[in-house]
Amino acid sequence: MGVTWAILWKDLLGEWRSRDRMVAMLLFCFLMAVVFWFALPDRHPEQWKELLPGLLWTAYVFASLLGLNRSFALELENDALAGLALAPGNRGFVFLGKASASFILISGVEALTAAAFGLLFGVDLTEVWLAFAGTVALATIGIASIGTLLAAMAVRSRFQELLLPILMLPALFPVLAAAVEATRAAISGLPLPFEAIQLLIVVDGIYLVVGFLTFDFILDE
Amino acid sequence: MPTSKPDRYTVPSNATERITSRIIRPLGVILVLLLVVYGWAVYNAPIDRVQGVIQKILYVHPPLAYGAYLGFAVTGIAGGLYLWRREEAWDRLAIAGAEVGVLFCTLMIVTGPIWAKGTWGRYWSWDPRLTVTLLLWFVYLAYMLLRSFSAGGERTARFAAVYGILGIVLIPLNYYIIEIFSGRSMHPENLERGSLGAGMGFPFLMGNLTLFIAFVYLLLLRWQVEALRADEAQRIHQRVGAEGD
Repeated sequence: MGVTWAILWKDLLGEWRSRDRMVAMLLFCFLMAVVFWFALPDRHPEQWKELLPGLLWTAYVFASLLGLNRSFALELENDALAGLALAPGNRGFVFLGKASASFILISGVEALTAAAFGLLFGVDLTEVWLAFAGTVALATIGIASIGTLLAAMAVRSRFQELLLPILMLPALFPVLAAAVEATRAAISGLPLPFEAIQLLIVVDGIYLVVGFLTFDFILDE
Repeated sequence: MPTSKPDRYTVPSNATERITSRIIRPLGVILVLLLVVYGWAVYNAPIDRVQGVIQKILYVHPPLAYGAYLGFAVTGIAGGLYLWRREEAWDRLAIAGAEVGVLFCTLMIVTGPIWAKGTWGRYWSWDPRLTVTLLLWFVYLAYMLLRSFSAGGERTARFAAVYGILGIVLIPLNYYIIEIFSGRSMHPENLERGSLGAGMGFPFLMGNLTLFIAFVYLLLLRWQVEALRADEAQRIHQRVGAEGD
């Protein structure tokens, strides 16, 4: 477990000192807002409320892909990946460390993006923020865990930026379908759909277990 | 140069692969015979009163689906065996499973919309089963891209095995989610006894049998090709090494 905390601390400290991933992801999300506005112009406020879950998750997914790609690209410099592989104990804990760092980073971006989208599209999220944040966090666990596993693979191939979305998007489908459903209910102030939340928890569990168990084969060198 | 090819070009060195490659040729003979009977049976099958001749896609489409799932199952299981035993033969079987699976899946995705246009009135309907199949197809195309974008060798085999296993995990997950979120499927739940019209049972059975044999035949052939390729690569490697000394 010490390994997990050490890697989490290392990643967050590095990010705090450079802030490059966070800034890039945020900027990307804000740009997406502009793209959405041009793609779907002249809507009524009520329609934006209906569309917002889909728009938010589109931005979240692509921003996560950007961040996850960088999460391991950094480790390639100075052969730091070999250092990670040498971490004592089960390598599943290395996975947990990398995944939780990505989770915290992506969550931060998601929160600021939600605030910005709420302002830009005139949807008030202050009343429902707790249900909203809970759903988003639950889905982000799935994204960060499977994303960490796949990014560790993609980073050591040619065209890594191209490969990660192709590997990851099919695996994200269960997360996204449930997340959009639950987020829509949360934004509308309705009770959260039990089945969607249940599915998110199941998928999070599966992805965490798969990542924990198979990360050994990904780092092995 | 000798006029007849030496045996070593057609017989893999690995024991498992050598045994399986022996049944390829007899299987090919059986496949040709089955194809003749299958073609005859489909040709003579009655024309559906409601759907017309397009209903004959039934004799191709579901068998292709079984082949696709079978191919993906082979990939996942062979990947697991590779990670467990670390024998390259299993990795080569996983490649064969994915490629033949993608072939069957592609043909299924092509035949489906043709049938759908004729009976449901449009090519694509986001029917739960269609969506799942499409996603599955993407998973295994991604699997093949992962292999071709990686440098090859032991690491690629490990990565591909992990992704192949993930693909298997995704199949039930996607079914589950689509059960929850979409309306009822337009596909029949299963082919119950009696749901096929008179005279349709035999061609349907032949379709399943023939395409199953075709699947096994292609799988083994692909496996053999991959094994021979690995053998050849090793021979070249040894020769270059010997010349270098």
